[in-house]
Amino acid sequence: MRRTIPLALTFIIGLYPIFAFFVPHARITYANDWLDEALVIVAAFALPLGTVNVIMTNTSKLKKKAKGWPYSIVLLCGLAIMAFYGLIGGTGVHPSFQWMFVNMVSPLQATMFALLSFYVASAAYRAFRARNIEATILLIAAIIVMLGRIPFGDMVTGGRMTPLSEWIMSIPNAAAQRGIIIGAALGAASMSIRIILGIERTYLGTGKD
Amino acid sequence: MDAKKLLYVDRRVIYLLVAIGALIPIIRPIGLPTVPTEPVWNLFNRIEELGPDDAVIISFDYGPSSEPELNPMAQAILRHCFQRRVKVLVMALFPLGGVNMAIGQLDRIASEFDGLEYGVDYVNLGYKDGAQAAMKRMDISIEALFPSDVNGDPVADMPVMAGARNYDDVSIVISLATGIIGEYWVNLVNAQFGVPVAVGCTAVSAPKYYAYLRAGQMMSLLGGLKGGSEYEKLLVDKYDFARELYETPEVKVSSAMAGMDVQSIVHLIIIVFIIFGNAMYFLMKKQEKEG
Amino acid sequence: MVSIGVWLNAFLTLCILSFLYKDNPFFRFAESLFAGMSLGYYIGLANQQTLMPNLFGPLFGDFSGNFVLLIPMALGILLYFRYIPKVAWMARLALAVYIGYYVGVMFLQKLHGEVLPQSSDTILRLRGIGGLDILWNVIFIVGVISVLLYFYFSAEHKGALGRISRVGIWFLMISFGASFGYTIMARISLLMGRFSFLVNDWIRPLVGAS
Repeated sequence: MRRTIPLALTFIIGLYPIFAFFVPHARITYANDWLDEALVIVAAFALPLGTVNVIMTNTSKLKKKAKGWPYSIVLLCGLAIMAFYGLIGGTGVHPSFQWMFVNMVSPLQATMFALLSFYVASAAYRAFRARNIEATILLIAAIIVMLGRIPFGDMVTGGRMTPLSEWIMSIPNAAAQRGIIIGAALGAASMSIRIILGIERTYLGTGKD
Repeated sequence: MDAKKLLYVDRRVIYLLVAIGALIPIIRPIGLPTVPTEPVWNLFNRIEELGPDDAVIISFDYGPSSEPELNPMAQAILRHCFQRRVKVLVMALFPLGGVNMAIGQLDRIASEFDGLEYGVDYVNLGYKDGAQAAMKRMDISIEALFPSDVNGDPVADMPVMAGARNYDDVSIVISLATGIIGEYWVNLVNAQFGVPVAVGCTAVSAPKYYAYLRAGQMMSLLGGLKGGSEYEKLLVDKYDFARELYETPEVKVSSAMAGMDVQSIVHLIIIVFIIFGNAMYFLMKKQEKEG
Repeated sequence: MVSIGVWLNAFLTLCILSFLYKDNPFFRFAESLFAGMSLGYYIGLANQQTLMPNLFGPLFGDFSGNFVLLIPMALGILLYFRYIPKVAWMARLALAVYIGYYVGVMFLQKLHGEVLPQSSDTILRLRGIGGLDILWNVIFIVGVISVLLYFYFSAEHKGALGRISRVGIWFLMISFGASFGYTIMARISLLMGRFSFLVNDWIRPLVGAS
């Protein structure tokens, strides 16, 4: 029962939006709209779900004084302060919440991702090799597109680089991406049907009950 | 010349060269030209057709990790909409930072224009969880999904909402997206409800989105900082206020057009790295064969 | 005059950038702070922007008219039961609804929103248009079909299928090269953003330069 009822729920709730798409009857649509409204709220509860796990892991680390435990204090303090100002604001963004986002969360995330530019440059120098035909095609396409995205490309080729770069993006690139999109979409659709029909059950966990 | 030594140089030397290449044009801007492309023209021309009786949704679906790429295009599009006096509904469906990106820019950009009033000409509806569930809900009622704005004030009495009850009243949805949310606007909202969708995306997503652009599922695509610089160029060429605004130091340093200077220098550095790295690799192979 | 927010912003930026030299306590501190604050941000955001206006507001404002909202509220709370071993199985009920809804919507998105429009747009004109446009259309169709056939792994890639798959690989390489070029552009933009902040918002006001 502990697995049967969830599987039945997945089947009914999963099929309903598909059914409602093809049957535009007022009552069917009404129930579908209510489902949309309900899932917005459930998604809001789901968003911070992983936080509980992180809190448990880091408090355990603190208790055992495991390696790196001072950083767990930093993590938990950051979490607590941000959550506090997020909760006391009621409806609407608290000014301190916005301030901390702009001056702390935003630069931290932005700089983390900015590090990637250095790694990409290092990879371009050390690893990007024209070892075979395929790699050479990749390299040439990359250089043409990179030159086409900057003014220098047009300046040295008399304005030809941008149109060439746009052609690469619109024809061979778009063709390949379309093939990938169609293939991936068919795969995702078949996985969706497998979950709805209960063939794929890994999302329920591997518990014995 | 020892090719192997050059090939396996300390990576911090590479980092230093990239850092210098990025810093120089920031300290001494070059002012390289920008040429707009057709995908960007599409959105510009469409907004040129709109006026005070039209409403657009601008969805801030990005966070700090995409701020330098998408902030300039967000500001340029907002300026264009405000200049045309189009009603603007701002929202966010991306959880990490979308709503804060909007808060940081919307009122500041609106204050550059005389006579614009919050709640009458534009509104920041805030963030909503659920992505697809939220998008589907807006086909029935935008107000039902967003009963209050980002500050918690009820939107029911705001005049701007009177002309924007659901997707039928919206001329375009412009999604400034860092990831999959941009695709959802296309494969759900455009596909199921027929709303024209324009996407301003990070450069990482742009190659994939060309397939959607070709199929007409997106009416416009602004890819990365270059897309933003092209839109700014169109704005500056068309409107005197934009030409003067983008000459002021505060706006100029944060513009996409200025950012293209850094792009150009560092792109050239990386192209040199690729060519030089390959040259050293083949030289090393030759030296190993001879040795 | 540089505000305390800008100083904090600059300090945290330099902490993260210090990792380029080597791993160090400043970077680890900034990394942990980022992880914690991001999670706290999600809690605050979900509460402020969705739960208060769409759940608690209507429930406390007009309970009799909105009591059905107790159902999604119960489902949301049930999700957290997975952390209590004795009643962890109850979280499956909420998960079943959540997963079921989104796979149902995803099924429509993928087929109706991607497969059909992308496939129909691939049926391109090969007559009655300008010469070069016919060539581009032929190249496009060949590209899509060859890439799709490359991803067909139910048959061995030899003979005709092997040759077509090879063409598919070339199209994929062009696309990956274009993606690499665009990815470099994206990463450089991020670097530019941080350096621009450090130079224009922190150092220049500090030294009084414009």
